[in-house]
Amino acid sequence: MEAVHDFRLAIQSGQVYGLVGESGSGKSTVASAVMRYVPHNGRIERGSVVNFQGVNLVEKSLREMQQIWAHDLTLVPQNPGAALNPSIRIGEQLAELMRLQRRLPESVVQERVLESLHRVNLPDPRAILTRYPHQLSGGQQQRVMIAMALIPSPQMLILDEPTTNLDVTTEATILDLIETLIRSEGTGALYITHNLGVVAQLCDRAAVMYAGEILEDAEINDLFAGPLHPYTIGLLNSIPRAGQTKRERPLATIPGKPPLLQERPNACVFSDRCPLVIDICRTEKPPLESSGENRLVRCHRWREIEAGNVDAVYPTEIESDVAELAHREILLQAHNLSKTFNSQSTLFNVLGGKVSPPTHAVEDVTLSILKGRTYGLVGESGSGKTTLARMIIGLTEPTSGEIALMGIDLQGDVRQRSREVLAQLQMIFQNPQMSLNPYLTVGEAIRRPLIKLAQLTYTQAEAEARRLLKAVNLREEYVDRYPSELSGGEKQRVAIARAFASNPALIVCDEPVSALDVSVQSAVLNLLVQLQEERNAAYLFISHDLAVVGYLADYVAVMYLGELFEVGYARDLFSPPLHPYTEALISAIPVPDPAIRTDRIHLSGEIPSPAHKPTGCAFHTRCPHKLGQICEVESPPWQHHGNEHHIRCHRTPEELAQIQAYLLNKAKA
Amino acid sequence: MAAIDPPLPVANSPRRIQRLTSLRRFATEFFRSPQTAIGTLIVIFFLLLAIFGPAFAPYKANDQNHPVSHQPSAEYPMGTDYLGRDVYSRVILGARSILVTAGAGTLIAVVLGTFLGLAVGYQGGLVDEIIGRFIDAFLALPALLIALVILGVLRNLNPPPGSWQAVLSDRSVLVVIAIVYIPLVARVVRSSTLDVKTREFIWAAQIRGETWLYILFREILPSVAPALVVEASLRFSYAIFLVASLGFLGVGARPPSPDWGLMVNENRGGIYALSPWALNYPALAIAVLVVGVNIMSDGIKRIVQRG
Repeated sequence: MEAVHDFRLAIQSGQVYGLVGESGSGKSTVASAVMRYVPHNGRIERGSVVNFQGVNLVEKSLREMQQIWAHDLTLVPQNPGAALNPSIRIGEQLAELMRLQRRLPESVVQERVLESLHRVNLPDPRAILTRYPHQLSGGQQQRVMIAMALIPSPQMLILDEPTTNLDVTTEATILDLIETLIRSEGTGALYITHNLGVVAQLCDRAAVMYAGEILEDAEINDLFAGPLHPYTIGLLNSIPRAGQTKRERPLATIPGKPPLLQERPNACVFSDRCPLVIDICRTEKPPLESSGENRLVRCHRWREIEAGNVDAVYPTEIESDVAELAHREILLQAHNLSKTFNSQSTLFNVLGGKVSPPTHAVEDVTLSILKGRTYGLVGESGSGKTTLARMIIGLTEPTSGEIALMGIDLQGDVRQRSREVLAQLQMIFQNPQMSLNPYLTVGEAIRRPLIKLAQLTYTQAEAEARRLLKAVNLREEYVDRYPSELSGGEKQRVAIARAFASNPALIVCDEPVSALDVSVQSAVLNLLVQLQEERNAAYLFISHDLAVVGYLADYVAVMYLGELFEVGYARDLFSPPLHPYTEALISAIPVPDPAIRTDRIHLSGEIPSPAHKPTGCAFHTRCPHKLGQICEVESPPWQHHGNEHHIRCHRTPEELAQIQAYLLNKAKA
Repeated sequence: MAAIDPPLPVANSPRRIQRLTSLRRFATEFFRSPQTAIGTLIVIFFLLLAIFGPAFAPYKANDQNHPVSHQPSAEYPMGTDYLGRDVYSRVILGARSILVTAGAGTLIAVVLGTFLGLAVGYQGGLVDEIIGRFIDAFLALPALLIALVILGVLRNLNPPPGSWQAVLSDRSVLVVIAIVYIPLVARVVRSSTLDVKTREFIWAAQIRGETWLYILFREILPSVAPALVVEASLRFSYAIFLVASLGFLGVGARPPSPDWGLMVNENRGGIYALSPWALNYPALAIAVLVVGVNIMSDGIKRIVQRG
């Protein structure tokens, strides 16, 4: 099985080269092949050349490679938690690398280790030296990995999705760090990612990979301004941008899924999903041609695309009416909802009478969800989004506050709710791998709520399950499949079908697309919009990605450390953002357009632990526009800014608007 | 419908092939290592003995009209003991009691332990904390010691015949095995349950308003099953050993039943010199069976854990 075919790339020193592709496209295989780190069952085919500073790495022995790994070619992996040794202190792990470089006196080694942590902007590096990896946050771990990779001052750095598992705000700071370090060191870098926004912000040049082949390779500005390959065009149109809404500009979706590597056609690999496919595409593999200076593309029709004779148009799958929001009835109302967790009730704690201070996971949240509309909820991890969702769905009992569904008070948790109420509230989960029972077939998963909640007979449920599968664009035969036989996107579709089975009035969607690939993401988002139109269900849509929430939601709430700080219609929230936290969230999103390199506002430090919540305004420790002492002492009041737009800040909305206008002018100047 | 959406035999067949191959793969994998094959054959051999033993045994277990302490010969393949009983017949007839007692005891322990482990693991919180510590404390004591205490209690009940206490007392070894192994099985099932219950499909079931029992047995149990199978096979091999040990200590099966452990006990000491075969053969039977079951359970573990 050939995982990567005819891959060509030339990286100059000081250049940051992006390699974009979805999972399974062979990006990481390329990285490991370049590193000569191929698993036992894989091999690099004869005739392959990895020319690194005039030396062919493919011919090197393991011993020689180890020297190269130690001095010239280093890797920053995707999952720093797995790359660090959990049982050795950070300082020791860095010192080990340092000693590998050169024989140095121990005092110098320790000094250099400290220096390397300073360089990656870790707060209080001296304290971090003595910590174990699990005591650091994901962002801090990744900084340590970057410090490690830079210790030998390598000629070349390979970064394999280094920010994929991080929050947007953390991602933004790490990207900045990477950019500054690479630029100042003059290191060449191969940056592997699935995020086009990151590529646009960071790279000088990028290659788009699909099913193990390069489809397009160009300078960043050319790639984004005039993509020549239909796949690149599709990708660019399928990502929501900050401020884009489903009503103004629906997302394009690339239908189908990538070919399996063992079934890769000896033709254009993208031909099955391409809107511009012609006969030759299915019979002949297009060559990687030079379409201009410094530009490569692998498509039979690039000349027509360049000349503008054909247009790669992807379906958008949405026909949405622009109904007015205001006249909708209220479906669900939560009033002053709070959840406080006490310290774990272990036997020792109970017997010892030990009580640690309670954690305020959610505090005083009031929200109302309209019938058939989408209420978006944004926040970083640890902001209490999921706890709020669990309270509304009834999996966690609120400490105080009320929830009313269509005017009826909901008491207690799911066990105390009637079948009718249960049928009205359903949920779609973040991780499709875990939201379906691996030992039950798709049919069993979907039939169960039909029988249990909609009270259908088995035969009726069977027929309805097939109808639901068709509604989520899956084939009926899937009823007999087990989840392990489905792809991630298909599993999420099944989970959506299951949530819609009882014909609920409200579906809580907890990060339903964050675990999916880009091209699959847009299809699932559009499916959600389409089903909402057809079935008139309301969504509580939770995500850390403001662009996704802004695209899908009609009304958005921004949450930080368990409290709401800004609520308003999606379109009002972005233009311009008013609350400093919303502003930081928006500017942290990497814009998929190299022309707009935003002057990002960065939140300093990590999100504080909810167990040690700052006094006064919870956001004051990271706020870029802090007013003064009042922020540390007093909880900010809600302020109205027209059109149901509310902001919680000690500054007035007018003041905040002025700050935004000033920043905008400064950016232009 | 056929015109639009033709039934896809092709789409179904890979799955069937996959199922077949996985069954065949299981078998090939299982017997690939010669040890596993030998272990399984040993267990099958003893199972056959337990079922058809009476048909093979030349004499009754307690027939004493044979020469006393006769050495092995064509007539008495394993000789006779000091009371003139045929050792060969007694070894064959003893297979049933040890396999039934160990098997049924293990089965009860697995069923009850699974239920306890699922319930405690799923419930969590203080219940888990209390029962968990209780199980830990229980596991800190040697199994044999607990067995002796329980047996002592059961034996001294002196229940009226026909009462439930009498039934328990007659099956006391079986009861002991069940009681000793319930916490062990529960602990394994509990730890797997703790992992499974945080998965989101459990939330989905809760949101549907599924009952506690449905969630335990329909949603959680299948994921726990692989670990459970390994634990059950391991428990079975230890149970056989425990039955033999209790017989040897004289607190298990009562004379004159042809229990292997009891036979080893009866023929040791001064009598051993007269008829060593009366001790050696039952001891050999115990050793071979325990080793056989152990090797087989190793094989099961290897396959299940490889997935």
